[in-house]
Amino acid sequence: MKGDTASPMEMPDRRILVTGAASGIGRSTAVLLSRLGAKVACADIDQAGIDETMGLLQGPGHTPWQFDFKNIHAVGDWLAALAGSFGALHGFVHAAGIPAPVPLKALSIEKWREVFLVNTEAALALAKAFPGRRVYAGESGSIVFISSVMAQVGSPAAIAYSLSKAALDGVMRSLALEFAPRKIRVNCVAPGFVRTPMFQRVERLWTEEQRARVEALHPLGLGQPEDVANAVAFLLADSARWITGSVLVVDGGYTAQ
Amino acid sequence: MDDFYRKLADILDVPEVKPAAVLGDFTEWDSLSVLSVIAMLDSDYGINLHATELWEFKTAQDLYDRVVERSGKRS
Repeated sequence: MKGDTASPMEMPDRRILVTGAASGIGRSTAVLLSRLGAKVACADIDQAGIDETMGLLQGPGHTPWQFDFKNIHAVGDWLAALAGSFGALHGFVHAAGIPAPVPLKALSIEKWREVFLVNTEAALALAKAFPGRRVYAGESGSIVFISSVMAQVGSPAAIAYSLSKAALDGVMRSLALEFAPRKIRVNCVAPGFVRTPMFQRVERLWTEEQRARVEALHPLGLGQPEDVANAVAFLLADSARWITGSVLVVDGGYTAQ
Repeated sequence: MDDFYRKLADILDVPEVKPAAVLGDFTEWDSLSVLSVIAMLDSDYGINLHATELWEFKTAQDLYDRVVERSGKRS
């Protein structure tokens, strides 16, 4: 079998782009992929965060790329430039995202559009550019979007986030069908609440009682970024070579109730 | 200052909020309103307050004083 490895999750010399790599789930994913043998392009708006992530990666050949994913019209050219320098890609993970824990009455149109732009449209713009011959390596293609349980269940003040993540799930399914002939798989990972810097920004909005209630919604407790990274790596690697169009829920039991 | 109290009134869905008004007396002063005030202070004043802090303010004036203290200006 081509590319025989001890584990189907190993990805020797695969080139993978991870957006949102400066912290949280993106950083953990980048670190794990490097341990599995992949070459990782770390993208984020936060240069200092990317630099910190780069220092955690194992092995040579990784590269940092600062980019603001609100700059949606530039995504295609940016991805082509990245692939031209780094090498053609086998896949990407869109972990870049912004929260918006704002009740509808205080949620501006501009804010929900900003959330949708980074969480959803940037993922779509990356996918649009990915199959191009200057970008895609032509084999073992895998795209993973970081969705959320908020695409499947509701919560007060989660309107904008739910909007962006539910759309991402829908986009993923149609993309999976469009890209199947090119042997590019497309899937989502839907985390529950994970201890990340984004979570800390949301956590300050809760009283201790509310925080305890959210934690209790997770029968296995709150997640760690590594718990999500494990699922992302599984979907990127050949371990998931017959999986496309799926949402892999990684939520400590949150949505089982 | 009028601007702050007008925004607070919008969130609490009342015609006006006077400085001496006790926040806990408003029927709309609940966890969603607290989140809305936090979002408003963040977007309009660049101030990040925690929910636990917000629940401790007794009157609208108490909250306003904190906004002035943290932003360094009167609105």
